[in-house]
Amino acid sequence: MLNLFEREKLELETLSQEQTAINVEHLDLWFGNKQVLDDVSMRIPKHQITAFIGQSGCGKSTLISSFNRMNDLIDGCRYRGSIEIDGRDINHPRENVARLRANVGMVFQRPNPFPMSIYDNVCYGLKLQGMNLRRALDDAVEQALRDAALWDEVKDRLFESANILSGGQQQRLVFARALALQPEILLLDEPTSALDPLTTLYIEELMINLKKRCTVVIVTHNMQQAARVSDYTAFINQGRLIEYADSDSLFTMPRKKQTEDYITGRYG
Amino acid sequence: MPRLLNRVYNPTQRQSLAISASASMVAILLLTLMSIIGFILIRGSAYFWPLDIYTLTYANSQTGVTAQAFAQIRDESMRAPLIMQSGEQGAIKQRTEEQNWWLSYVVEGRVTLSRELLDPANVLSVSKNPNVAEITLTNGETVLANPLFKTPTQTQRQALSNLQEARVNVDYLQQQIESVRRAHLSPIHEELAEFDRLGVANDAPARVRLTQQFYEHQQTIQQYQQQLAQYTLEVVDAQGNVSVLMLSELEHIDFSNQLNTLGKVWVSVSRIWAFLSDEPKQANTAGGVFPALFGTILMVLLMTLIVTPFGVLAAIYLSEYAPNNLMTAALRIGVSNMAGVPSIVYGVFGLGFFIYAIGGSIDSLFYADKLPSPTFGAPGLFWASLTMALLTLPVVVVATEEGLQRVPSGIRASSYALGATKIETIWYTVLPIASPGIMTGVILAIARAAGEVAPLMLVGAVKFAPTLPVDGEFPFLHLERQFMHLGVFIYDGAFHSQTDSQGSSMMFAACLLLLLCVFGLNLIAINLRARLRKRYTQGA
Ligand SMILES: Nc1ncnc2c1ncn2[C@@H]1O[C@H](COP(=O)(O)OP(=O)(O)OP(=O)(O)O)[C@@H](O)[C@H]1O
Ligand SMILES: [Mg+2]
Repeated sequence: MLNLFEREKLELETLSQEQTAINVEHLDLWFGNKQVLDDVSMRIPKHQITAFIGQSGCGKSTLISSFNRMNDLIDGCRYRGSIEIDGRDINHPRENVARLRANVGMVFQRPNPFPMSIYDNVCYGLKLQGMNLRRALDDAVEQALRDAALWDEVKDRLFESANILSGGQQQRLVFARALALQPEILLLDEPTSALDPLTTLYIEELMINLKKRCTVVIVTHNMQQAARVSDYTAFINQGRLIEYADSDSLFTMPRKKQTEDYITGRYG
Repeated sequence: MPRLLNRVYNPTQRQSLAISASASMVAILLLTLMSIIGFILIRGSAYFWPLDIYTLTYANSQTGVTAQAFAQIRDESMRAPLIMQSGEQGAIKQRTEEQNWWLSYVVEGRVTLSRELLDPANVLSVSKNPNVAEITLTNGETVLANPLFKTPTQTQRQALSNLQEARVNVDYLQQQIESVRRAHLSPIHEELAEFDRLGVANDAPARVRLTQQFYEHQQTIQQYQQQLAQYTLEVVDAQGNVSVLMLSELEHIDFSNQLNTLGKVWVSVSRIWAFLSDEPKQANTAGGVFPALFGTILMVLLMTLIVTPFGVLAAIYLSEYAPNNLMTAALRIGVSNMAGVPSIVYGVFGLGFFIYAIGGSIDSLFYADKLPSPTFGAPGLFWASLTMALLTLPVVVVATEEGLQRVPSGIRASSYALGATKIETIWYTVLPIASPGIMTGVILAIARAAGEVAPLMLVGAVKFAPTLPVDGEFPFLHLERQFMHLGVFIYDGAFHSQTDSQGSSMMFAACLLLLLCVFGLNLIAINLRARLRKRYTQGA
């Protein structure tokens, strides 16, 4: 945890193209007639952990789901504005959405392993990418499970059903499933809200280790968690980005009154 | 009414009243179910049980002459007074109108079977002779008589104890005849036919030689047959009349009166086996039901193979791809209402559309050389399976759709989030998870299809089919052939039953078999579903 104090701060406003993982510009989003996101613009830095906080229903999940276009699956969802990843507008109609999603992994609040063996769960994405060699798959599975700190617990029962795992193990399996694809960006929607404190710590450590390999975006209701693990934090309220700064300054001296109210618990 | 109940009973009493009222309905349901199954089970299995043979002395009601007959009494209610009587050897005292009974299979004279309507008033005495046997012939007839047999070496009638040896000889002779037929006669026959076609003259040397050979082989067969004819079975009926049967005509002999319970069980088992593996004889009133059983199962399997992919694809479209609008809603209602269409309508549709329209065009396109005799333009196995698939389609569609909708959205989202396209998501995750639901649909479809009769009679099931739809001849599975079906068999048997108690028992036995068949097919499917469920159930 030492490196928490040593990290160098990037200036979010002047982030260069190389330093930016996701560049959101003037994003508006509607579910039917209800506007859920309102003119959101932000740059998410590469190889950092960015946390999204905000009241329930403010649009956090919606925002990060638009980074891998999961909102496309919802009937009546419309959006405007651009989201650039690697300099490409992902909302372009010719964007290969399947490839985008393989590149931008996502872990949901509730673990939902597929009803297959542990091995097949981890392979799922790789097989879709056309990887069929048994040796290569074996190696990738082992690596992903090691990355997710699950290998030692499951190495003897790789071919048993994933459903027999505990909730925390399942969540780590889901991590491994996403990590197997070696994504550049990992979107985490409240990944620890259903887990016990110890497993939560496990996963937080995992996230910090992942920073070397990818950009992590996390939604959390846990203020301590955001302060502990994230480098940058964005506070969202009613679909608007209210404040976005490095976590230390946002939690110690928020610039906006709304932010201060929220993090001190005087809000909603 | 509820208010009245409120006043009379306190809440606890009302509770128990409600419970007992609904429980009694379940009890009635259970009772009905049990009695149906029990009835079929008893009547069906009674067919196989070797019945005791009674010797009745009776006064013929028309002529007044005293006569004797061997009889088996199938009806329980009639057996009781008779058996009582058999101890007394006297006249039956209680005579009531209802005690008129049918006695089945009374032998009179040469192997003709006649039924005698006997009034208990006319029965003078009842006894049991241990030597009387139930003799089943190869053509399916059953004779009740006292059997004796003769072999070529013995001039005297023999006791039945060394029958086995004689039968071995008979079998050997029959095999000889058959092998000569197959090895020599039929090739010559074919060659002669070939000569006919080529227009070879009658006195051509090759032809003369062939004809010569033909006669020689026929002679051999005749010799064998003469030897066979020396093995005879003489049967003596109750009146003492003797008739002579060839031993080769004999299927088996059961001395029911000599059998103990274990022996009867054994005989029943062998009869059940014969029932399952033999061809029907005597216009479906004797013999076995193998072709019908085979046809039923084959038809159901084919139907399952057709309906499952169709139904699943349709359900996938409806639940995954169809836009959420009025059209789709209407379509969905239409599909579920298809399940309520009377089955005969499907039969008529199958006949009119599949057979005449489609089958007719197939014939004119591919089998034009065989016309006017139709190949696919006539009722047959394939059209029957297709019609049944259509009939059960809504069941499969509805069940599959339910299964698809029950797949948790989190699973779908996870699959998409790993870079799967829609088709990949459906194929790799949604369908496996929905597979128990699909199996439920298939189970219901099988249950429905195996029990249908009416539409089948229009599109391919027949009372008697000369060949099975599967044989060793290319292409092995003959989809255009007509086939036999247990349901049709029962339907046919129900007509016989009005005149023939043997036929009626056979109908019950076939009924029992149909039930077991449906249960068996369902059991397989349910087992499969349980396995899929275990494999694909969702953890919390
Ligand atoms: N499928 C949907 N259809 C219509 N409206 C939706 C849908 N999903 C979410 N919304 C609405 O969009 C708004 C934002 O939802 P979102 O899930 O992004 O909130 P959130 O910030 O993630 O909340 P939470 O912290 O409770 O997860 C909410 O008002 C919600 O009602
Ligand atoms: Mg959310």
